[in-house]
Amino acid sequence: MAAGVAAWLPFARAAAIGWMPVATTPMPIPPQEKKKTQDGLIILNVSGTKFQTWKTTLERYPDTLLGSTERDFFFHEESNEYFFDRDPDIFRHILNFYRTGKLHYPRQECISAYDEELMFFGIIPEIIGDCCYEEYKDRRRENLDRLQDDEEMDISNEAAPVNLSYREYLWRAFENPHTSTLALVFYYVTGFFIAISVMANVVETVPCGTMPNRSKEVSCGDRYALAFFCLDTACVMIFTFEYLLRLVAAPSRYKFVKSVMSVIDVVAIMPYYIGLVMTDNDQVSGAFVTLRVFRVFRIFKFSRHSAGLRILGYTLKSCASELGFLLFSLTMAIIIFATVMFYAEKGSAHSKFTSIPAAFWYTIVTMTTLGYGDMVPKTIVGKVFGSICSLSGVLVIALPVPVIVSNFSRIYHQSQRAEKRRAQRKTRLARIRAAKIRGTNAYMHFKQNGLLIDSLEEASKKAGQALVGKAASPPFESQHHHLLHCLEKTTNHEFVDEQTFQANCMEISVVNKAGSRSSSLSSSPHNLSSCCSRRHRKKSSFSLPSTNNQELSTIQIRERPLANSRSSLNAKLNETVPLKCNQPYISPSMVSLSAPPVTSSDEDSTTTTAYSQSNIVRVSAL
Amino acid sequence: MAGCTRRCKQGLIKFALTLHKLLTGTLSKDNADDDFEMTVVCHRPEGLDKLEAQTNFNKRELQVLYRGFKNECPSGAVNEDTFKQIYSQFFPHGDASTYAHYLFNAFDTGHTGSIKFEDFVTALSILLRGSVTEKLQWTFNLYDINRDGYINKEEMMDIVRAIYDMMGKFTYPVLKTDAPKQHVDAFFQKMDKNRDGVVTLDEFILSCQEDENIMRSLQLFENVI
Repeated sequence: MAAGVAAWLPFARAAAIGWMPVATTPMPIPPQEKKKTQDGLIILNVSGTKFQTWKTTLERYPDTLLGSTERDFFFHEESNEYFFDRDPDIFRHILNFYRTGKLHYPRQECISAYDEELMFFGIIPEIIGDCCYEEYKDRRRENLDRLQDDEEMDISNEAAPVNLSYREYLWRAFENPHTSTLALVFYYVTGFFIAISVMANVVETVPCGTMPNRSKEVSCGDRYALAFFCLDTACVMIFTFEYLLRLVAAPSRYKFVKSVMSVIDVVAIMPYYIGLVMTDNDQVSGAFVTLRVFRVFRIFKFSRHSAGLRILGYTLKSCASELGFLLFSLTMAIIIFATVMFYAEKGSAHSKFTSIPAAFWYTIVTMTTLGYGDMVPKTIVGKVFGSICSLSGVLVIALPVPVIVSNFSRIYHQSQRAEKRRAQRKTRLARIRAAKIRGTNAYMHFKQNGLLIDSLEEASKKAGQALVGKAASPPFESQHHHLLHCLEKTTNHEFVDEQTFQANCMEISVVNKAGSRSSSLSSSPHNLSSCCSRRHRKKSSFSLPSTNNQELSTIQIRERPLANSRSSLNAKLNETVPLKCNQPYISPSMVSLSAPPVTSSDEDSTTTTAYSQSNIVRVSAL
Repeated sequence: MAGCTRRCKQGLIKFALTLHKLLTGTLSKDNADDDFEMTVVCHRPEGLDKLEAQTNFNKRELQVLYRGFKNECPSGAVNEDTFKQIYSQFFPHGDASTYAHYLFNAFDTGHTGSIKFEDFVTALSILLRGSVTEKLQWTFNLYDINRDGYINKEEMMDIVRAIYDMMGKFTYPVLKTDAPKQHVDAFFQKMDKNRDGVVTLDEFILSCQEDENIMRSLQLFENVI
């Protein structure tokens, strides 16, 4: 538990008064407390580092903590100084603000820590000086992005897979193939077929030797036409099936149809269907051949399978403006140089520079330093301008490229960070859960150590003894445990850990099977199911008849003193102390047990039946 | 048909804008709206002397309280989410948010949506240093969710269910779904003197004063600070 929250413990304990009228049993005694002496220092002592400054300096800004009467809350009389339990390194900058009037942001500090300090001392971040303002804003935006990312991820991953409809499940399987093995298999199968299809398109055009009754070489596509046709059919079947499934599963079909991937899918399979429909007409087949070019778009379907391809596509999209600028400047240069070259070469005979558009080709080839050599200037003026053209081409192209590269690098790193966060998410959650379990286990352990004394008369003596005897837990811990104990008393239920809880559930099931006593109490059928299978869908073995459940539970509400010894037994701790201390449980509304049936074996049905029998006896006695 | 032309026109305009952006390049200016989320509400409490006069705490105790308060909420006011978070940290077993919600409403007497230090300290002063009647009155206020002066069974059910929620799932004995209801019935049995189905403040105070356990437990947290 955060130590900062320890300061709120008195409030939580005071709020516990709200439980008192509801509780039917007396509350446990609070732990003894010794008066803490305050220690403090003079002047501005921030976590041990002393800062000294004039009072007037601080009062320059009366709407902040240090400049107003709010600092009186932090005054420490013994040492005659103001003590703040904050970070001295960041405080240095805050104090400098009072001195110089300019607030600076140190680059090596974490942005959220800095923001917290500013908020604590009541300083608004807008007054950060110009020298540090951009850096501050950038870091802040990064932090917000990260938080938003986390939230989105939480939201998307918290969708419990259990309650999804068939359609949602299908969509989820398509979007994250890792959720189920079937989805993964489908993912790889489609990837494989995309590769096959692309390769078939390529191999189709390779010349395959001569046919027996022809002299010309034919391509493989014509030679093995049937084989290629079957392959193509199979691939298109798969792609069509996949597309239809995606269309059915999509949460918003209209949005899906509009998306890029869907368009690529359609374009990839359309040529085949159009080919099926069209006859072997010569006029139309010309157009049909061009349509087959679109089959190459199948290669873009790989972008679902490759994150790198997606990043590249996203980069190009986000660098569209830089690319546009590149294109525009290139066009300008091409026009200028083409015009110049045309007029320079106009004079020479047999010049290839027949028109300015014809000179475009030369300019492009020269500017990109390709230099095919099919068009070369022959006049001196032409050669001069040609060399200027090639030099400027290098410059013009080299300028926007780093921008695009840095964009790509930034996006790539971002996606890597997101991946890393996702990978670390499990460990992060596990860490949080472990901390929680540590907290709860601390309380169980505390109980089993027998430090809970309930009887009001012997409390003072025994409390003193017990607390002195055992290793003294820190006062905050003992107060917190007392608070939890009060809650237990209010609700007449006890905290147990997960294993004990499972054991209890199993026990109830065993008793229900063994003891077939007819209960006159009508019980709702989902009592037991609510207890055991609330979140244990895996453990489907707990589907039990719950006729006896209500009876049993009411019994169990009544008998309480047994709880500690039972839980300690279940946890298999060999401590004689707890049994001794728990004997004198005397509460006016309860009958004390004569001898707790020490059943160490939970699986033995007979003993538990006996146990429940004795419980029933007790109820009638009440 | 009119919608179609409008959309066409919009599309054309967008296309022209994109072309324009392509030619001129973009140096994305900061949007004005991601500045100035920095309008934090800072609240400063009244002076130490005034608070000392208004509550039953002395200066030192107020200092201690304020430091803790300020540490967890540097802006000087707790909103409901922060409150729930803080309270949940003390009860890791179960879900303390519902009870924290009712507590928040009980603390936030002015219904401003946030608890300032004055509200905090006033409530604590009643709970820790107040008279028995004041404490019982505060508790009655807590239970009376809609502030109509009567506690009816539904309100009590909500409160008791919220308390049971804090226990969490792993309890012994196993938590049944109607355990809160039984608890509420027992409560009404004791408190509702004239059997009219609601508990008024006077019935509440009288019944509590008759119950020794409750009286004793009210004195339990005297020396919390």
